Amino acid sequence: MSKKRFSKTSKCRFCRQGIDEVDYKDTHNLQKLTTNQGKLFSRKRSGNCAYHQHIVKASIKRARFMALLPYVA
Amino acid sequence: MRLYEGLFLIDNAYANTELDTVVKHIHDILQKNGAEILKSENWGEKKLAYKVNGHKRGTYFLIHFNAKSMAVAAIRRDLQLSDSIIRFLIVKDSKIEDVSQIGITEPEAAKDINRIPEPATEELLEEADMAINTSNDVQL
Repeated sequence: MSKKRFSKTSKCRFCRQGIDEVDYKDTHNLQKLTTNQGKLFSRKRSGNCAYHQHIVKASIKRARFMALLPYVA
Repeated sequence: MRLYEGLFLIDNAYANTELDTVVKHIHDILQKNGAEILKSENWGEKKLAYKVNGHKRGTYFLIHFNAKSMAVAAIRRDLQLSDSIIRFLIVKDSKIEDVSQIGITEPEAAKDINRIPEPATEELLEEADMAINTSNDVQL
């Protein structure tokens, strides 16, 4: 059952929309990929492919450095 | 030359009273190191996600510029010495075509072709857009 739940959508959210770049300034969308505490969602939870999860990770960390997103909330 | 994008977090104590001089200071540092400023955008005052050196709020300023890769290290070093800049982040920007279309969108010299909407220069933008549209019509 649980296996099926995660394999329902075949592609990650960025692949589906054809987005190549994730901007660290786009905090509104980056926030959707973090928990309420500001922690990064796992690859399994976010459903991102390796390529996009890698970019998301980097951009969230950039946003954190510039105090656009919290390290811990 | 390569396209870079710098986001600067300016101390509100300076930003509220003398933002122009702080921005000029940043521009001077960039230009002194041979950078060509393409676009500078004021995000305004924002609440920070966490306290940075005791500051709860700050003013963000986004600047796109062309610079030699060797010059960026010197720019970083110069910026670190500044009291008014709390934090800054300089990253490579890949969307060079988009930004070269935008041109200079400084509030004073915003009569060039502007694509990105900015509240302060909205009227000028409309004029510029109209100019583009009409010129396109003539060509067609």
